Amino acid sequence: MADLIQFPARIANRVGETVIAPVRDLWPTHSVDDWGRDAHLIKVLSPAARLRWRVSVGGHHHLPVKGGALLVTNSRRFALNAIYASWALSEALGRPVRFAGRPDIAPVGPFMRRLGGLLAQPDEIAAALRNHELIIISAAATGHPRHAGKVDHHLVTAAVLAKAPVFPVASMSAMVGNSARVEVGAQLRPRHKRRGPLAEVELADMAQHHIQKLLDALGGTQTGVAPIDWLAEG
Amino acid sequence: MGGELGSLIASLLEAEPWVGDLTGIDVDPPRRRLRRADFHLIEPSNRERIVDVVTKFNPHVLVHVGVWEPDARAAPEHAKRFTSDAATAIVGAAAECPALEHMVVRSGIEVYGRYRNAPTRPDEVSPTRPTSDFGRMLLNIETTAASVGKRVGVPVTALRLAPVLGPHVPSPLGRLLRQPVVPFSIVSDSPFAVVEDSDAARAFVAAAGRRLDEPINVVAPGAITTLQAISRGRRLPLPLVGPEWRFASRLSHMLGAPVPEHVLELIHYGRLADGGRAMAALGVTPITTTPQVIDRLFAWESVVRITPNREVA
Repeated sequence: MADLIQFPARIANRVGETVIAPVRDLWPTHSVDDWGRDAHLIKVLSPAARLRWRVSVGGHHHLPVKGGALLVTNSRRFALNAIYASWALSEALGRPVRFAGRPDIAPVGPFMRRLGGLLAQPDEIAAALRNHELIIISAAATGHPRHAGKVDHHLVTAAVLAKAPVFPVASMSAMVGNSARVEVGAQLRPRHKRRGPLAEVELADMAQHHIQKLLDALGGTQTGVAPIDWLAEG
Repeated sequence: MGGELGSLIASLLEAEPWVGDLTGIDVDPPRRRLRRADFHLIEPSNRERIVDVVTKFNPHVLVHVGVWEPDARAAPEHAKRFTSDAATAIVGAAAECPALEHMVVRSGIEVYGRYRNAPTRPDEVSPTRPTSDFGRMLLNIETTAASVGKRVGVPVTALRLAPVLGPHVPSPLGRLLRQPVVPFSIVSDSPFAVVEDSDAARAFVAAAGRRLDEPINVVAPGAITTLQAISRGRRLPLPLVGPEWRFASRLSHMLGAPVPEHVLELIHYGRLADGGRAMAALGVTPITTTPQVIDRLFAWESVVRITPNREVA
């Protein structure tokens, strides 16, 4: 008869339990959702994020309580508009708002996935919209905080095909200080019904136009000293 | 029918009122007591006998689950050969059966691959571009079955299963996670989803009863990262960065838990898929969530000791 050789499982498990116990206390053992967003990580990082962005949110009553929607925001270079806008809107709505634009390279890609990031690709956006998610995409980045860049109509295609509503979102953050603003506009309703790809091209142009209008309405800081205004409006 | 999943599917099919005669082929005997089903112990390479048994039986529905996951029951090279031989022989034999109306084949979400900028959560319409040997093996089964189905005019349902875990299911992922010390990638602790064997078996039975001609993802709801799985199992986490993975997988192999390419891929890049279509297409969806499957994985006894009966006379 052969003998059963056993690993000292009890000792190993006790060591494992001792080592993992602090991790278990700090981190829940189930905090990622079906798309890899980690609600707990976002909660942990929120105080640090608030040091940089104290966001006031407006117009979020336009957004659907249930169902998917595509949100389009402006983007200033290196300002991470989509990230703070998605977090602020998630908090205001009580449901996750994901942002498109994470890279697929470790360690940044997996980390941003935990923060709610998706790839900025039409297939990815389409799949998320089919799953009734709220996704925020960025217009082309600009150097000026109150200029809305061009919106990639390929990303808007997903919303057109999924018949998901599209909303313009203006986002602004101060370069100095932590004030930031996210303003959601009313749902975009194209003037003409199109059967072909013109639908998304026109919708993308319309989104850019509406974001610009929202940004203009937000205005800038008026101190009378131009360089301070420029820094403050960020 | 000899593997755990095959035996489970056979026992569920036996209970179905629409199922008449049932026959199965495998290289191992069934793991469960089957009351009505016939079983034939045949090597996958013995094509002549397989063709003989299948054509004599002349089935209406073929359920092909003959997939050898690398490092589960066989080494990667053997697994590849057995899977290919079984697919060629069984699907080929079924094509010769005039009564054949439908084929259901096992595939996996590994067929989507994890190339750069691959979809985070691919659904059935996402392109298939496997990046591991196991993924390529599964895609080969799908394409073989689809081409045969097209040729003989029968619908083919490919069930793309998430990694299957169950109390007796040989799984390299399950074995790795149950080790006392479990490595994980500290730079990309990516989420993955799994499916319990009973949920996968129910999906096969549902698919066999319908005539769908499309692939369907079968994925348990929810996701978990490797570190979270380790934490749930109260194992010792071993954080790794990159080059030492080669050494860690060799050591793990020596300790009895080989880490094949597709499991390494899962640990590094995660493995999620959208299983939302299963309910609409099959009428069933996995009940056990991914965290629950992981909890059960750690709760299963490693060795079941059966005490001898006490002699009374």
